[in-house]
Amino acid sequence: MSAEPNPRTLEVRLEVSGIRKQFPGVVALDNVSFRLRAGEIHALLGENGAGKSTLIKILTGVYQPDEGEIRLDGTPVRFASPRAALAAGISVVHQERNLIPQFTVAENILLERIPTRGVQLVDHAAINRLARPWMDMVGVEAAPATPVAELSVAQMQLVEIAKALSLQAHILLMDEPTAAITPHEVGYLFRILGELRRRNVAIVFVSHKLEEVFELCDRVTVLRDGRNAASDVEMATINRDRLVTYMIGRAEVIAKLPPKPPAGEAVLEVAGLTTKGGDGALSLVLRRGEVLGLYGLVGAGRSNLAKTLVGEIKATGGEVRVRGAVTHIASFREALEKYRFGYVSEDRKEEGLILLHSVRANTSITIWRRLRLLGQWIARSIEDAAILPSLRELDVRSHSLSQSVGTLSGGNQQKVSIAKWLAAKADILIIDEPTVGIDIKTKNALHELIWDLAAKGKSILLISSDMPEVIRLSDRILVMRNHAIVGELPNDHQYDEMSEAIMARLS
Amino acid sequence: MLRLRGLVPGVALGLLLIDLVGMIVLSAVRPQFLSDYNLFVTGRDLSILLLVALAQMIVLSLGQMNLSIGSIGGLVAIIESGLMVRFGVPVPVALVAGLLLGIACGVVNGLLVYWTKINSFVLTLGTSYVFAGINLGITHATPFYHIPNEVSSFGQARFGPIPFMAAVTIVLTLLLAGFLYQVVLGRQLLAVGGNSVAARLSGLPIRRATLTAHAISGFLAAVAGTMLMAQLGQGQPTIGATWVLPSFAGPIIGGAALSGGSAPVLGTVLAMVLISLIDDGLVLVSADPFWVEFLIGALILGAVVLGRTHLGDVRVFLRISTARPVGSIR
Repeated sequence: MSAEPNPRTLEVRLEVSGIRKQFPGVVALDNVSFRLRAGEIHALLGENGAGKSTLIKILTGVYQPDEGEIRLDGTPVRFASPRAALAAGISVVHQERNLIPQFTVAENILLERIPTRGVQLVDHAAINRLARPWMDMVGVEAAPATPVAELSVAQMQLVEIAKALSLQAHILLMDEPTAAITPHEVGYLFRILGELRRRNVAIVFVSHKLEEVFELCDRVTVLRDGRNAASDVEMATINRDRLVTYMIGRAEVIAKLPPKPPAGEAVLEVAGLTTKGGDGALSLVLRRGEVLGLYGLVGAGRSNLAKTLVGEIKATGGEVRVRGAVTHIASFREALEKYRFGYVSEDRKEEGLILLHSVRANTSITIWRRLRLLGQWIARSIEDAAILPSLRELDVRSHSLSQSVGTLSGGNQQKVSIAKWLAAKADILIIDEPTVGIDIKTKNALHELIWDLAAKGKSILLISSDMPEVIRLSDRILVMRNHAIVGELPNDHQYDEMSEAIMARLS
Repeated sequence: MLRLRGLVPGVALGLLLIDLVGMIVLSAVRPQFLSDYNLFVTGRDLSILLLVALAQMIVLSLGQMNLSIGSIGGLVAIIESGLMVRFGVPVPVALVAGLLLGIACGVVNGLLVYWTKINSFVLTLGTSYVFAGINLGITHATPFYHIPNEVSSFGQARFGPIPFMAAVTIVLTLLLAGFLYQVVLGRQLLAVGGNSVAARLSGLPIRRATLTAHAISGFLAAVAGTMLMAQLGQGQPTIGATWVLPSFAGPIIGGAALSGGSAPVLGTVLAMVLISLIDDGLVLVSADPFWVEFLIGALILGAVVLGRTHLGDVRVFLRISTARPVGSIR
């Protein structure tokens, strides 16, 4: 990247006004405006369901607005399809990768324009040669002929950006690009985005992490309930509290968690646990009525540890004691039925819930065997009576017990995936990333619920890569890095000191 | 927006309306539709094909497929008739042996799918050839004629317009519905079909659910094969040869999701009634019988397309509001 003179023009490239989009039963966007200039990074913020994705889908031709106007460089346009938006120079880098894993980096970049020679033979040399400059521009550290499946998430993202640039994109939409990459990789990504800004590319940056937005972005537009809560505001003129107020409609109140009884005896003692997955000898102690935070980045081995404890991954060495007795948890069923573990997966849609099925079935799934009457029969009245206390305790909101869980909000889905373990009377709860993708309001409510469960005597191993969450909620914090526990810190709930102490262990 | 096909009664409601209209139109246009004999013949075909469709539905509810239903039905029929005709085995013993064989074939399918983790489409395509091959190897394509009279007369027995066979099918259908919706193992099976990872991480036995679904599928195929043998009065090696398409048509029109997790028993019943009506109607109006398959094909395509849109839900079609106020469960 050369040091050519700054060509940023800050001309308005894309102007959206009065957009309305209605789906059956819900107005997703109502009179929304948005303005994007060349050479700026524009944050698009909002809680889940505020309409960010709908707006992005309209900008990229996936949806057509019911009302309103899109102007590109001053000319009204209408994108009939994603292809039309792409042709107009608008590219989107999604949370879900749009790459073909089996294809090489170069093939993915040039997917729609595979060069051929002779009678439509694929020219592999030309593919690799043509892709190289775009890869270099964003710093993809792999050979063009590497299959995409072998890249890290961060590298895949760079490939997507390279692909967008090769399509002559001058408007780049980044949908939560930092959700799954390490701080180091985030730093690199931000340098690349900064460089693109200098080259006059217009960038929309969607993120839940406000710290990043302040670090990177020039302007911000906030959506709330499908309307503009703030439109085209300069970042320099706004602070975090103001931004949060725009997002949730009121000032953020983080209530101090009430005091809870001191932790009791050790219920789970792990000494020198190793697995085939490469975990170094891991040791930890979890006590009755405490929240033990396990902080680490994605890929540090936290979920691996959790899955080993519940018998989903085989341990190769070490000792696990549950309530004082040495155990060899052989299977998940044993962990659940014999040792009363509960495991709330970080991926509630893929691993936690059966989205198509009812709230009832998703909650009682852990106790069907216990509920059966003569001849394996389950009576609905008994089933409902068994699960209602748990659902009430967590304040799950749904039309009825028969509503399918996939139609609930993310927060309510998460509550159901916890409720099924309460119904099962689990008292060692391993909760993995409980608030990923959950908005600020619900997040606080979930924190209070988890705290309350510990106060009532449940032992909770809280796995999280969300530092404020770990510091707010834990009694003690374990820091994990490269499949090893690198520190144990008593938590005084002071964010600044604690975050510094944690970061010190990570570097 | 999530489509909840199979769990939404709208699909069944729509099929029920279509069935009723079909019956009324057919009996108005061709009064002989309501004759005892016509109803008996139609009901007998329906009794057999419904079991075939349910045999597929239960595997579909697991998110898998069973292409060997027809081969199992055929193999069971010729083993039973062979035992009775060639070896003089008493009828009850032969029938029980046949049904156990059907279950065993299903368990083989289930074990293969569970152990190898290979797609059930591929595996049951293989076992389908194996079962059919055993059938042909034994019979050399020659039927076992003259099965015992008590069996073949059951195939012709009726109470007014109602075939005795219908009783078997009705009982099995009710048992299956009860099993799937109210019995622990049945609900586990649906949960595994809905999301096998979530089911395992909730402590459910994946292997037992897989084997059970395939065993039930084999059992229902075996009953269907036995009933067709009784109807034909002989152990025809070709029994089941044409079952693959109707076995999928019933559950798919009835609202089953191929990805698993839904088991629309009622929808499947109503879909098979509709297919029987079309079948019978075309015969009654002396239409070219070779066009029956075309119509069923059009019906499947229509059902799938409707299922992808909101038109599939009759309540939306009739503008009946399904929205309810939000509130806590209290």
